[in-house]
Amino acid sequence: MIQTKRALPRGDFAIWIIVYVELITFGILFVGYAFARSGDVALFNESQLLLDQRFGFANTLLLITSSFFVVKAIQSLQLKEHKKASKLASRWLIGAMTLGGFFIIDKIIEFAGKVEEGINLSTNTFFMFYIILTVFHFMHVLLGLVILFNIQQKAKKGGYTADDISGAETGAIYWHLVDLLWIVLFPLIYIIR
Amino acid sequence: MIKIWITLLLLTIFAFVLGYLKLINFTLVAVLLVSTFIKGHLVIEYFMGLKDVTWKYRIIPSLWLFIVLSLIAIAYYKASLLK
Repeated sequence: MIQTKRALPRGDFAIWIIVYVELITFGILFVGYAFARSGDVALFNESQLLLDQRFGFANTLLLITSSFFVVKAIQSLQLKEHKKASKLASRWLIGAMTLGGFFIIDKIIEFAGKVEEGINLSTNTFFMFYIILTVFHFMHVLLGLVILFNIQQKAKKGGYTADDISGAETGAIYWHLVDLLWIVLFPLIYIIR
Repeated sequence: MIKIWITLLLLTIFAFVLGYLKLINFTLVAVLLVSTFIKGHLVIEYFMGLKDVTWKYRIIPSLWLFIVLSLIAIAYYKASLLK
């Protein structure tokens, strides 16, 4: 059986414009970090040792799994039995939001530790990039959680049908973007040296 | 889809173990960047659902990922030459 490709990606097309803008913005920061590091490798390596890689690792597992739960939620919404679809999707989304919530808690603990150590934007170039990238990403996670909450509420009320899930798909794309950005951020800031 | 999720988890564990045991050298940086590309590509193709879309939309995020990771690799290679 020949499966034809969709002409446009899932979700509202506007979300893809946002995705492209976010990818360019974060891309500039990622590459900027890498080239800034090549100017002072010793400083970046020493500073990186002050990070606890376990925070980054836990957060990666949380976001990947949360993203997977969102995929399951979207798949659930496509079930023919409307009531069951809404209930299942709502549960998957609660799971995804819980994991996203753990990400936020984990990050706050990590940030609090850094503040206690007296680390701030002007500590050095490594920490400037670390704070800008992780705080910027953190804000995206917060926004993503608000979006997921709205989708979950609508799903719970049976507001999506198998033929009309574009709104949910749009929110899901944003959450996967947040995951994708962290997938690059984690090895770059925490691991590679 | 569960296979994609498990692959993503395994590649994350692999990266963490290398970093945690301080096993990183230039060759392993390259391995890690390739593994990051695979992870990102899986999210783009399967989670974002771009594998079912015509190539012109499908290629944009993957191309972004390839360019960003390649530039990072160049920066790390440049840094290794200066050591």
